[in-house]
Formats: sequence, C-alpha cells, structure tokens
Amino acid sequence: MPEALLEAAGLSRRFGGLAAVDAVDLRVERGAIHGLIGPNGAGKTTLLNLIAGALAVTRGTVSFRGADITRWDAARRAQAGIRRTFQNLKLFAEMSALENASIGLHAGTHAGIFAALARTPAQRAEEERIFARARRALEFVGLGGDAGVAAGKLPYGHRRLLEIARAFVAEPALILLDEPAAGLNQTEAANLSRLIGRIRDAGCTVVLVEHHMDVVMSVCDQVTVLNYGRKLAEGRPAEIQRDAQVIEAYLGRGDAPPSKHALA
Amino acid sequence: MYLAELLAGGLAIGCVYSLVALGFAMIMRATSIIHFAQGELLMLGSMSGLSTLWLLPKLPAVAVLICGMVASGILAVAMEFLVYRPLRLRRVALMNVITATVGMSILCINAARLLWGSEPLRYPELFSTSAYRIAGVPVSPQLVWIMAFGVVLMGLLQLFLKRTRTGLVMQAVAQDAEVAQLMGANLTRMMLYTFAIAGMMAGAAGVMFGSLFFSFFEMGFLLGIKGFVAATLGGLGSLAGAMLGGILFGLIETFSAVYVSSAYKDAIGMVLLIAILLFLPSGLVGLWKARG
Amino acid sequence: MESARLKRSLTGIVLLALAALPLFEPHQFVLHMLSLVAISATAALGLQLLLGFSGQLSIGQAAFYGIGAYASGLLSAKLGMPFIVAFFAAGVIAAVVSLVMVPITRLTGAALAVATLGFSILVYLVLKNEEWLTGGSFGLMGIPRASLFGYVLAKPTYAYLLCVAVAAGVYLSLLRLQRSRFGRAINAIRQNEDAARACGVKVTLLKSQCFVIAAFVAGLAGSLYAHQVRYLAPTDFTFWKSVEILIMVVIGGMGSLFGAVLGAAVVVLVPEVLREVGDYRMLIFGAILMVVMLFGEGGIAGFLEQCLRPFSKPRA
Repeated sequence: MPEALLEAAGLSRRFGGLAAVDAVDLRVERGAIHGLIGPNGAGKTTLLNLIAGALAVTRGTVSFRGADITRWDAARRAQAGIRRTFQNLKLFAEMSALENASIGLHAGTHAGIFAALARTPAQRAEEERIFARARRALEFVGLGGDAGVAAGKLPYGHRRLLEIARAFVAEPALILLDEPAAGLNQTEAANLSRLIGRIRDAGCTVVLVEHHMDVVMSVCDQVTVLNYGRKLAEGRPAEIQRDAQVIEAYLGRGDAPPSKHALA
Repeated sequence: MYLAELLAGGLAIGCVYSLVALGFAMIMRATSIIHFAQGELLMLGSMSGLSTLWLLPKLPAVAVLICGMVASGILAVAMEFLVYRPLRLRRVALMNVITATVGMSILCINAARLLWGSEPLRYPELFSTSAYRIAGVPVSPQLVWIMAFGVVLMGLLQLFLKRTRTGLVMQAVAQDAEVAQLMGANLTRMMLYTFAIAGMMAGAAGVMFGSLFFSFFEMGFLLGIKGFVAATLGGLGSLAGAMLGGILFGLIETFSAVYVSSAYKDAIGMVLLIAILLFLPSGLVGLWKARG
Repeated sequence: MESARLKRSLTGIVLLALAALPLFEPHQFVLHMLSLVAISATAALGLQLLLGFSGQLSIGQAAFYGIGAYASGLLSAKLGMPFIVAFFAAGVIAAVVSLVMVPITRLTGAALAVATLGFSILVYLVLKNEEWLTGGSFGLMGIPRASLFGYVLAKPTYAYLLCVAVAAGVYLSLLRLQRSRFGRAINAIRQNEDAARACGVKVTLLKSQCFVIAAFVAGLAGSLYAHQVRYLAPTDFTFWKSVEILIMVVIGGMGSLFGAVLGAAVVVLVPEVLREVGDYRMLIFGAILMVVMLFGEGGIAGFLEQCLRPFSKPRA
C-alpha cells in the first residue's frame, strides 16, 4: 500500500476523565480532500488540533510523509508543510490582508535581524518575492482588491478567505481547514467548494472539518465520521450518507443527518 | 529560645503575606488580572491605622485594625469602580489593564508621600511590652496578636465564602461569571465585594505590619510583590494556596535571612518568584492536584 | 503625500533640527537636558521593541540600563578602557545578562511583567550590596567623559551630538527591523501568538531575541548616562527607573518609535519646565498612565497621527 501523506494511529486526547478523541485511526492519501464530520462535540476540532500540533496527544502517534511528528510542536509542523485555519478566525487584525498573507511565508524565508539591519540585496529581493507570492495568494482566493485593507475591517466572508490565503500561501503539502464555511451563505459556500477544489489542483492535500454538508458532499473524496471522540464510519461521501449508524448518530443528537442535504 | 522567636516571627510575617496573597488570589480569580496596586492597599491601611491612632491614642488594637481595614476597603472599591470597571467595559486588552494597575500603584504611592511624608513612621505601642510565655518559651506579644488576628481574619473569610449567600455567589462568579450572571448574580456588585474584601485583607495586613515594624509610603511596593510571591508559591488563583503560600514564604524568608544572608533578604523572594514562575507555575496546589 | 513618505520627511527634518541646534549656541544646561532626553529615548526605544512591537510587558529595563551604566563606568574608570570599547561592552554585557532571563519569555502577560520586576529588584540589590565592585551606596565616582579616538568630548555640544547620534542610530535600526520579516513576525506574535505559531513562526525564539536586543539597547543608553553624569548610585536604577521608561513608552504611544522619543522628551523635560510640578511629577504620570490606557493606547504619537490623517494616503 502506498504511503499515505498523513497517518494517525490510535490517537487519543483526554481532558481529565473525558476522552475528547478516543483511539482514532486516520489515513489521508496524497492529493485527497478528506472530510471530517460528526455531530457537535464529536471531537473534530480536537483531532485537527492534534494533527496540527496545537494540542499534545495523550496517546497514539501522528506521522507525516513517513516521519513520526507526534512530538513536534506546531511551528515545526508548519515548517514541514502542515498549515491550518482556525474555527474562530485568528487573523492579525491590525495588519493588512497582504501582510497577514505574508506571515504565512515566514517559515520558508530566511532574512534575520542582521540582514534586515543591513538591507542586503538578498534581503530586499526576498522581501519582493514574499509580497509577490502573498499577492498571488490573495488573488487565488479572490481577495486581490483587499490587499491594503486591515484584516479587522474586512467583512466576515473575506476574513474567512484571508485565513485560507494565509495557510495556502506557502503551498503546503497538507492544509487543515477548520469549518471554513461557518457563517457563509449558499453562494459563498459554493465559491468555497470551488476554492477547495482549486487548492487541491494546486498540489495540496486537504483535511476539512465541516458542518456544511453541501460543501462536504461536493468536494470530499473520503469522509471520516466521528462521534463521541471515536471513529464511527469512513468512506466515500455517498456511502456515508446512507450509513445507518451515521444517520442514527445525527438523528439521536437532533442534528439533521447528512442525507437531508442534497448532493451538489 | 531563639528558634522559637524566629518561628513566631516567620509565622507572623507569614500571616501578613497570606492576607495580601488572599487579595491577589481573589482578584485574580474574579478578573484574571494581577492587581499591581494590591500593596498600596496594604500601605493605605497601615497609614490609616496610624492616623487613627494619632487622633485617638487610647484606641484598642482591634479598633485600629478595623479602621485600617475600612479605609483600604473603601479605596479598593474606589479603584474598581472608577478605573478597573470602565477598563473592563471598554474591553481593553489585558496588557493595558495591567499597565493601568501599575499607574494606579504609582498614583497611590505618590499621593501617600504627599500626605504622610517620606519618613518612616512608628506605630505607638499597641500591645504590652512584657513577653508572653507559651509552653515556657517567651514570645513577643506583638507576634502572638498578629498571628491571632491573621488566623481569625482568614477563618472569617472562609466562613463568609462558604456559609453566606453572598460568599457563595462570589465563588460562583469567580468560577464562571457568565453562568452565574444567568442565574441572577449581580456581577457589578460581586466585583465590588471582591475588591472590598481584598482591600480589607490588605488593610489588616498593613496595620499588622506597621505595628510590628513601621509604616512608610513605599512599604506597599515590596510587601505587595512578596504577597504576590506567596500567592504564586501556593498556586495563583487558589485561596487555600494563598494562605499556605503566605505562611510558608514567611518562614522561608525569616529563616533564610538569618542563616543565609540578611543583606539579600529581599532577594530571596525575587529568586523564589522567578523560580516558581519558570518551574512550578501552578504552585504547590498545582503540584498537589497533579499527584491526585 | 503617502503616509510613509510623510513620516520619513518629518523624521529627517527633526534629525536635522536636532543636529543643527548647537549652532544657535544654547545654554549648557539645555544641551545637558537634551542629552538626557536622547539617552532616555534610547532606553525607551528598546522597551518599545519589547512592549510595543512584540507585546511583552517588561518592567525591568532599568536592570539592563544599570548594568550598562556600571559596566561602562567601571571599565573606563577602573580599567582605563577607551570609551568606545566600554560603550559597546556595556551593551554586550547587558545583553549577555539578559540571556539569563530568556526562559521567562515563555511567560505571558502579568507573569512576565512580575518576573522582570523581580529581576530588576535583584539587580538593584546586587548593585547596592556588592561594594567591592560598584561602591555600593557610596556610588561610583570619577567616570571619565566620553571620548572618540582619543579625543575627549569635553564640550557639552559634543556629548550632546554623541547622544543624539546614538539615539538616531537606534531609532533608524529599529525602524528597519520594524519593516522587515522579523518585524512583521513579532508584530504577528503580539497580535495572535497561536496564529503566528501555526504559520511556522518560532515564537519563543523571536521573543527572546527581542528581549536581548532591548537589553543591549538599554545597556548602551546606560553607558551614555554614566559618561554624561559621571557619577552613579544604585538609587538611579531602582524599579522606579523601569517604571519611568514604561511611562515614556505609554505616553508616547505603544508601538510607535517616534512616540517613544516624544515620551522620553515629555518625561524628562516637563518636570524641569514646570518646576512646581516637580513634587507631583510621579503622581501625575501615574494618573496619565491610567487615562491613556482607558482612552486608547495611541498616546501622543497616536494623537498626532489622527491629526495628520487628512493629509496622508495609506499605502496599498
């Protein structure tokens, strides 16, 4: 079996007595768009945080490109090619959209304190490259016109796009999107679906945590369903929609099950 | 015996630190801010107690204590109402709130200097000068009374928090302000009570310290930091930790000053502070919880 | 005119005016006061990097200021080293000592503030108690004037120009840093540490670097101070000095380099200009600190920026 881009084995995270994530195995293939769904409180964001390195694992391992990254911190993982967005938006509000995106390029660039003080030609060239790439990333997500606007002043939908631009700008191998469609209307959600497809076409593998079933069903190749921290089901979107256990999990919680949402 | 005197001294100053630490802990729990001006509440209590004694020299120790507590309580409430609450309402960043408390501290210290001058002021004798004998060992009555006051005050606080309705509501607010509010707690009033009590504790500590050593306008600075060290040692945010930390730190400091170096007495607290922040940030209480 | 160009022009004009001032033969005392402003501004600029740029509230800068002052004073007075050596050594020594404190950059918010406070007190106690080294409470006397390449800067004019040159050098260097990859990264850290980490920014490393740079700059300022007043006492470097530097940054405007300089000017000059204010100085500053925090951290620089906004166009 070819090596998966990301593999999580027996991943667990406990908070005191509560297992937010309980012995989850996950395999994300290169070039896939892998969805992560489940009722509220199922542990999706916690799992994402474990993969991103924002949270330490209680048990289990995470490997990326064959290397064991379980002990790596978030910055190191970001440098290795794992980038993410945040569910509740963590933008740099006082910086312009362009500068926000440029932070995403910090890890791959090198100019330090001395280079900055001396303003070497190499440093100046690097700065130009950084901003050129940042601008392209903004245009890629559709925010080309907002480059100079302070992130805090952007409308909600644009802020969500900016988070994605910041994560995408470094063209990471793996991009983790945490509920990117939250609060978006139908049109915006459809645009987002197309954007995720373009991100995959650009060479990134995507893991997508999402509640918005239209988006999940239309873009994902594989979907993993979590419930109470455990993996409930896994498979292609169509299979998941018909899975009795999945429907039960959603119905039992009062959430609408995936099949209620039309296939795009 | 010398050892007994040292022990009593350490416990007495420990009580002073505990009271200040309690104030830090309560305010921290309720607002998440480190109240830089806590030491100044101690200082004001000390000065007020002294001024009261100047006016009424025959006043018994308990009354002086109460006067100091009342003065500090009022100042604390004023601080919360005039400055801290507006800051919270404007959703000012935490860093700026801390800076504002630093400003408050500076204001109080310099106001005190203008009001009471820069010379250290002695408290008149509050207690008898002949030593008490406890278990055959002579101990200065000063120390005994301070320990007694300290224990009584801390006991009263515990009773208040655990047995009275207001106290329970205060605890609820400290744990989860939103939920408490949904259940009908008046946040504004609970905040005022929190500051009032923190102020009174500090004020009592000030009178106690003043009667033991002396009062001067800058006394709150170092004592405030030491109270913070005590609170951190016990575990920031824990009331039990604050009390434990205070006593422990008082003993550590007193004994170290004698057996290690007295010039660097204050340094002991600073080194301890940095060490705790770096290696044991959740304090002794955190250590205890981790074991369980 | 574009906002950045406007600022640069203003900076240039101010620097020119400061350099040209001696031509008007001001009184010796004025030059001395302005030298002190430049020295304080240097220290304040260091804190601005730490607090305004990377968001770390340090109220212990006086420790490095004092270490720099005593180091420079001792090296030149006791060991006869030339000023330039003592000057840079002061910065380096302060920076090296700050490495001891680097572990505390893991801390945030008030915990960091208190740790720096504790450190500041420790340094003060050492300066006061180690008489064999620092002269203790008696102080360190007989520090020679600054000198460049053997030529003693005996006239107040030259000392003044030296201080302004150092302040300007630090200012321009920090300006460059601010506009660089490093500056953007620490700005990001200040605004959202988690997000910065998720972008691959090595948060603790960068915070530590800011700490060390700020200490270095404070050390340089201390050296200039030592050779300006030529007598040091531990009481010059208590916690209150740290607070004074903090006040300069806050009054001037958090995050603004120009603000740090303005703040230094205000804190040093106002008590001199308004003599009656002298006693109430700290009282007023304490009140100002609270007021500025209540009404936005822009300080004087922020206020000026608001005034200039109608005349400038933002950079796209």
